[in-house]
Amino acid sequence: MSISDLVLSIADNKQMLGLRYAEWATRAPSLEADIAAAAMGLDDLGHSRVLYGCLEPLGSDPRGPERETDAGSLRSLPYFDEPWTEWPQFVAANAILDTAFTLVIEACVNGSIEVLQHRLRKMLMEERYHFLHGRSWLKSGIDTKPLEEAWQEAIEWFGPPDGETAKLHGDGSLSMGPSELRAALEARLESKAPSVRIDWRAWDPVRRRGRAGSIDSSTFEMLRGLEEKKFAVPAPTS
Amino acid sequence: MTTYKRVSGDAVEYEVFARKTRVEPLRQVGSVVAPDDDLAVAYARATYDEERWIEMAIVRKDDIIELWQPGEP
Repeated sequence: MSISDLVLSIADNKQMLGLRYAEWATRAPSLEADIAAAAMGLDDLGHSRVLYGCLEPLGSDPRGPERETDAGSLRSLPYFDEPWTEWPQFVAANAILDTAFTLVIEACVNGSIEVLQHRLRKMLMEERYHFLHGRSWLKSGIDTKPLEEAWQEAIEWFGPPDGETAKLHGDGSLSMGPSELRAALEARLESKAPSVRIDWRAWDPVRRRGRAGSIDSSTFEMLRGLEEKKFAVPAPTS
Repeated sequence: MTTYKRVSGDAVEYEVFARKTRVEPLRQVGSVVAPDDDLAVAYARATYDEERWIEMAIVRKDDIIELWQPGEP
């Protein structure tokens, strides 16, 4: 696994996070939260585009043609496989997963790879507002189930203690490895991670997730542009 | 299913101020309602960040000390 694989994983996850945020742009508990959901969705979709744009300068683009037909080839976490049905799922993703992605971006910005140092820095400024939003809603108190799921998936996503992410930290590409990332996430959220049990032998190192599955077919078709094509005006026949 | 109030906690109104250049003064561009400063910052940025402000600030409406209001001597 290379740094490109990790960048693609951040990009795919941010793309899905942005889409799931956007789905709540008219369903959040307040008008202000609706607007924030839309704005954060746009931010994360924009971040994913910047991250995809880093793959070429990094020298190897891991994206293959299977991404056009196989939803299971995308590298997003199980948390994004289905649209969220409850507001606490939004809050848990906003507070924990969004912050986890930000911490890995920080590790890239403070690491030794120049293109990532420069291109990803602006994201950290925008992510500050996502963090404030997530932390504040977290303080208001939400159900523990989505929080535990989000913590579990964040720690899985950081990777095993002796895996490739740790090696990228060891060679200086990243300023933090899995254990430092977990500690930083706990410090930022001012709470200890719940007890999580991870079977690293069953963990998929490419998709960085512990269980199989993929995003729902409707979202996948939207990503491929097929949903839009349904409404396209047919070309005139000559 | 858990139900949520429109704004969690005690809602507070904040006034939002911004400016586009250093030579102009901050002016009020709107307001947001939020239960705490963190969320008010996030909401102000999300709601009013469409323009190219060089500075944005929020103030709790309760913290504004009024000298007089319209209609008062």
